[in-house]
Amino acid sequence: MSTDVTRREFLATVAVAHGAFVLGFWMPDKTQAQTPVARPSGASWYEEPATPEVNAWIVVAPDETVTIRIAQTELGQGVWTSNAMMVAEELQCDWAKVRPQYASANRDAREKAPDWTLKVPGNGATDPNGGGEPTFGDRDRTGVAGIPDSLYRRMRTNAASSVKDGRYYLQLAGAEARERLLLAAAALWNVPVTELTAKDSVITHGPSRRTTTYGRVAQRAAQTPHPHPETIRIKSPDQWTLMGTERKNLDVPLKVTGQTVYGIDIRLPGMKWAAVKACPVYGGDVKRYDFDAIRTMPGVRSAVQFPIPDPSCTRGRIFSGGVAVIADSWYQAKTAIDRMPIEWTIPPDNAAVNTAMMQDALAAAIAQPGRVRVEHGNVDGGFARAAKIVEATYSTPYLARARMEPGNATVLVTNDRVDIWIGDQSPQETRFSASKITGVPEQNVYIHLCHLGGGYGRNGNGPQAEQAIMIANQMRGTPVHMLWTREEDFIGTTYRAMGLARLKAGLDADGWPTALEVRTCMQRDGFGPEASFDVTYRYHVPNYRYSTHTTKFHIPVGTRRGVGQAAHEFYRESFMNELAHAAGKDPYQYRRELIARTSLPYKADMIRALDMAAEMSGWGSPLPPGKARAIALEERGAEGNGMATISAMVHVVSVSREGKVRLERVDVAHDTGFGVVNPLSVKKQIEGQIAWFYNDAMLQQTTIADGHIVENNYNRFPISRMADYPPEINIRFFPTGHWLIGMGHDRAISIQSAIGDAIFQITGKRFRDLPFSKHDLTWS
Amino acid sequence: MAFDLTINGSVHSVDADPQTPLLWVIRDHVGLTGTKFSCGIGQCGACTVHVDGRAIRSCSVPVSTALGKPILTIEGVSPDGSHPIQMAWKEFDAPQCGYCQSGMIMAALALLNDRPSPTDADIDAHVTNACRCGTYHRVRQAIHLAAGLMRK
Repeated sequence: MSTDVTRREFLATVAVAHGAFVLGFWMPDKTQAQTPVARPSGASWYEEPATPEVNAWIVVAPDETVTIRIAQTELGQGVWTSNAMMVAEELQCDWAKVRPQYASANRDAREKAPDWTLKVPGNGATDPNGGGEPTFGDRDRTGVAGIPDSLYRRMRTNAASSVKDGRYYLQLAGAEARERLLLAAAALWNVPVTELTAKDSVITHGPSRRTTTYGRVAQRAAQTPHPHPETIRIKSPDQWTLMGTERKNLDVPLKVTGQTVYGIDIRLPGMKWAAVKACPVYGGDVKRYDFDAIRTMPGVRSAVQFPIPDPSCTRGRIFSGGVAVIADSWYQAKTAIDRMPIEWTIPPDNAAVNTAMMQDALAAAIAQPGRVRVEHGNVDGGFARAAKIVEATYSTPYLARARMEPGNATVLVTNDRVDIWIGDQSPQETRFSASKITGVPEQNVYIHLCHLGGGYGRNGNGPQAEQAIMIANQMRGTPVHMLWTREEDFIGTTYRAMGLARLKAGLDADGWPTALEVRTCMQRDGFGPEASFDVTYRYHVPNYRYSTHTTKFHIPVGTRRGVGQAAHEFYRESFMNELAHAAGKDPYQYRRELIARTSLPYKADMIRALDMAAEMSGWGSPLPPGKARAIALEERGAEGNGMATISAMVHVVSVSREGKVRLERVDVAHDTGFGVVNPLSVKKQIEGQIAWFYNDAMLQQTTIADGHIVENNYNRFPISRMADYPPEINIRFFPTGHWLIGMGHDRAISIQSAIGDAIFQITGKRFRDLPFSKHDLTWS
Repeated sequence: MAFDLTINGSVHSVDADPQTPLLWVIRDHVGLTGTKFSCGIGQCGACTVHVDGRAIRSCSVPVSTALGKPILTIEGVSPDGSHPIQMAWKEFDAPQCGYCQSGMIMAALALLNDRPSPTDADIDAHVTNACRCGTYHRVRQAIHLAAGLMRK
């Protein structure tokens, strides 16, 4: 097709096909989307909306529709709704008129953030009147940690931080727009702005009882800057009327009718499909392939080779090179590439690797002196005066995220512009990659964000965008939709690092710890090898040493519903159960006492969580044979005095004599901090992670043979089903005096230690390596 | 090869290899993208549609087996989300990422057509689709609500 056909024409075409929700973003004015020629200036759609925007987040249309731009990606966590709620709370618009729309990553490359969005109000994590304790890294044009001074600042969707990091400037955006709408009405009526109030998009002049609406004054507001935006304040939780209420997710109506636009659903005129094969052993590349063998197959057009992606585009991770077959339909491309002979060049060291060797390497590394991260008291002395020593070694496997939507991206490269349609948790990084690969400046890279069919940790940190850009860059002028098979998706991702831990405790005659030594081991580039053990041990111990030990493997690793914490909590809470057992004490009371002995700032909150979960569960009441209860504390950040999330859970687990495990009931006591934005989404995050960590505990592992991933589809990497989900879940909230650190990960991680302990209580067998399903769990 | 398919009550003329999985004909030839591809081996159920009233995993069935039979996809349940099962899904805010939910709804609808008052055990046995977000708690409640709405 001609390169002169504009991308705006594609937008128009897809708008016709999909109706109002176009490519996952809301078009407030469909006519506008369908008549690109009406904008001869060549400006982008956002620069010439039918109604001028009030600010970069908000457009109010004459029909009162409020378009709110969302700079995070919706992947099931409810960010389209919660981000919109934070803006709408301050805007005081009619919630029923709110329509989310993805923010433009291209515009983010061109415009700076307004000054009034930059300063975090308030005094940190324990000030209810402020913005909490958001984190921004240094300016880094790859966007790995967000770009602090770019328009939308943080376009990544990660670290359970969409609310934590974005709340203050999203509230400010809503407040700034509200103030300007009020100022516009005040100017219109020639009355003092202080006499005006706004509610549900209606502005009322108190003395005269005159009213107008946002839609009627938006044009004027858009043309009039706020004179002193730096004086605008955000609401504290006691002033919230929308935030803190349960709101159904705005995109659910699309998700029950099949209308949501995910990346895989993009169709463009003249588009070709690419099926790919990357070398299954990371670090490998194509030696040769025989396109002639498939050249005449139906629909087949060409084959395109791509190299190992530049590590600067993949945060240093080494993936593989590969080859794509281009065809008229994806199934034709996939059928053809399956039959195309491909030979690989594989680094021999990588090809020699298997799981058993890796376990040996971790065991060797953990026996060596590691890097001591924490040491206090006299650990050896503590062991010397112990009445009893308890030691345990735990291990966790590599784990894939296995999101449901296979990796894909649709890319059109021309000589002066790149367009990418993709579900992407980090479009600022993708923008950097596109520029690096094609040479087109970032200001000319357009990322059309789509919803994602699951994320669970930076969407795998894989090279889906990079592969697609490298392929399309060799086919300039043709839009190429690259789609991975499920098996390819398991290659194009990073893994939660395999881990090993040795814990050793001395107990005094009463069973209380005298000393604790914790060693954890992960590969060197493993994410979060120190997570959760690094500052202090959660439970009081007078003498403590924590060291990390590393080795080097070729498997690319990354975040996965948390960093190292999911594995580390399995180690820690399992060991607590073992210590309580060795001490002959109740594991709930044992934990409670050891937290009470600490000086941790949030210890009262942690005790409250334990007490509430225990009470909810009927802790101590008898259970029939084959059932057992286990408790654990879950916290993130609570070892400091900043933002934190604190919960405790009690799990009832049954194990049949045949060894079948069932999670029967989960009682959750969870803190809300000063307030959560959408309690419904918070519940759904907890419910979902109950399934997630059941999978980790019982079903899933990734093993390595001859250097490649073995479990590369759901027949080998099982996902729990309806029948595995606990029939009873109870969630109760309690308020605490800090802002939450996030909900998207590290919730329900206690399922791992709880199932392990229940298996021990019921069968008498103590297993310390996951998943438990690989063990004989029968009993008599 | 050219043939006709009856999808959601409309006849579509398609020119495709008869061995092409039904999923890809629905998505790429007919252009109904609500039905999703995920595993390609009939494991996860994201591609579930009804053929002749039965829930099948369309990624693993050649289109030729559906010739002459009515096919129902998520788009045909109701275009505006007004079917009781969709209303029930919305009431519980069941989806998270939503990618598996078209298939999940089609599997549940087949169950409800077959058993208007399913027990939890029926649901466990017949709705075996995978959801990576773990929406099962709400999906189960939504199925029970939908059953009630559909009986009325």
